[in-house]
Amino acid sequence: MFKPSLEDLLKSSIRSILKNKGRTVLTSLGIIIGVTSVILLTSIGNGLKKYISDQFESLGANSVFVAPGKLFNDKGGFNNNGGGQFVSTTFNLSDVALLKRNLRPNTVIPVSITTAEVRSPKITKPDIFIIGSTEQYATGVNETPSAGNGRWFTKEEYDKKDSVVVLGYTIAADLFPQSQALGKKVIIKSKNYKVVGVLDKKGSSFGGPDVDSQTFTPLDNVFGITGNNHLQRILIKTQDKSDVPDVKKEVEKILLKKYDKDAFTVFDSSQLLDSINSIISALTTGLAGIAAISLVVGGIGIMNIMLVTVSERTREIGLRKAIGAYPRAILVQFLIEAVILSCAGGFIGILFGFLGSLAINKFFPASVTLSSILIAFGVSATVGIIFGVAPARKASKLSPIEALRYE
Amino acid sequence: MTKLPSSKNNSQKEIVLELRDVVKTYNSGNVIFNALDHVDLKIYKGEFISITGPSGSGKSTLMHIIGLLDNPTSGQVLLDGHDISKLKETQMAQIRNVTLGFVFQQFNLLAKTSSLENATLPLLYSDVPKSKRDGIGLSMLQKVGLEDKLKNTPAQLSGGQQQRVAIARALVNNPKIILADEPTGNLDSKSGKDVMELFHHLHKKEGRTIVFVTHDLDLAKEADRIIIIKDGHITVHK
Repeated sequence: MFKPSLEDLLKSSIRSILKNKGRTVLTSLGIIIGVTSVILLTSIGNGLKKYISDQFESLGANSVFVAPGKLFNDKGGFNNNGGGQFVSTTFNLSDVALLKRNLRPNTVIPVSITTAEVRSPKITKPDIFIIGSTEQYATGVNETPSAGNGRWFTKEEYDKKDSVVVLGYTIAADLFPQSQALGKKVIIKSKNYKVVGVLDKKGSSFGGPDVDSQTFTPLDNVFGITGNNHLQRILIKTQDKSDVPDVKKEVEKILLKKYDKDAFTVFDSSQLLDSINSIISALTTGLAGIAAISLVVGGIGIMNIMLVTVSERTREIGLRKAIGAYPRAILVQFLIEAVILSCAGGFIGILFGFLGSLAINKFFPASVTLSSILIAFGVSATVGIIFGVAPARKASKLSPIEALRYE
Repeated sequence: MTKLPSSKNNSQKEIVLELRDVVKTYNSGNVIFNALDHVDLKIYKGEFISITGPSGSGKSTLMHIIGLLDNPTSGQVLLDGHDISKLKETQMAQIRNVTLGFVFQQFNLLAKTSSLENATLPLLYSDVPKSKRDGIGLSMLQKVGLEDKLKNTPAQLSGGQQQRVAIARALVNNPKIILADEPTGNLDSKSGKDVMELFHHLHKKEGRTIVFVTHDLDLAKEADRIIIIKDGHITVHK
């Protein structure tokens, strides 16, 4: 059996730490700062991920998107040579018809995107995204104005190519700062459009266009603006979430008959989400890694103070050895002190990190995860052990005769 | 000559610790120096023995060997007839824990720690169960007359009281030998006298074996037997 018992060791270690309260606090500060920053950064990363996945969830989990160009690389990240915008491929309504025929009963929604100047009687906003689509687009991406803010354009309006628009929250507020946008007229390319709906505020979604500043209108109106009938997106709404993989394969098979495999990308929101998450994870890990450097610095602080403690308590060590403490008992005693110092720092750091995350959460998504707490605590305990070993070994190796003589 | 209650002579008494032909050599640079030069010494059970000698005589070295804090360069150290001169540090520590009680000139009490906790410190490293420790500590502090100072820290005690806590600490493990190194050296004459009284009491009433190291010949004379050491050799005085 190991003597003294762990309980006795803990008791005497805690007592000797409490004898120097000021020193204890200062020593732990390095670890406190390190753990706090690691917890804060990982919780911001996690919050960001959760926020984005919520955003994508609102886009609709049962959506399949078709876009021109090769969007993703083989590893699942975004393709950074090429990208979506710089490809010559465009789709047209015959592609939509083809997909519709083959994908029944799933809904196929054509999307044409352009940018244009949008004017209200008093204000002009340049370079606004004009999204042309069908009446089904609203349900496809969960963008329906809430009660009192009008409605999405109807099938009739779509078929008759009526000059109606649905405005995003920001663009509506920008164009009509003083009054309600609903029912007013806006001018796009010298043509009057009636505002039939204003969307709810969505907030900017990371990695996607800002829905709040987009304008939506029946597809043919966009064709009229651009002078061609190119489609930049095809959106397929599946019957059920579980159909998504099959539909994706089917779409690819159909389009491969017409286009080269690098000319288009078929993806779903989870795929996009994975790509964004992998970027955020890398970023979070990198930042937390930088913060972890301060843990090492904190560890050196602990080692330093433990070396001082060993010097100060040389006579005590000599006495303990004389009355029967063998080297390992001394080693463990000082190691425990170092670990208590770093774990106390870790604990306070976790507390601060947690409170900090709660505070940040008011402005920015942040959520503390159990894993980040466990990792932070594990790391600080490890730091205590690693940096506590050298001073503890020094203490355990002192000769009792020399130590008792030490002035 | 003997102050023991029993009137046995040395040859009939039980030997607790025996040094046989002990040599302790120190190397300082190129100079080899024999701090102990073929020393033989027997410490009998229940005797009060004092070791004295001028500084540099080898007195401290002898004390370290008797205190099992150091191993001899050559020769044997027998504890109850077993040679322990070649044991490892860990084993030596465990033997010290159950065999010896140390009393130092500087008291060496833990600061900001109560008398009771200071007195029971050796039991942390022993097999004595936790539940019995405070009881043992309390009875030893009663023995040294400090039962009303259990919670006091060394700073709240006089020098004499501190040394008595240290003596209680030396007694808690019921040691075979109490080794006192200049125990009165840091005390005023009154407190010093009290401490000496306590040693005499422990010796006479409890039959404790006491090894008393001092440079003061007058104090040394209070013992049953005086060992004078000079230049690493010892002469036994009666």
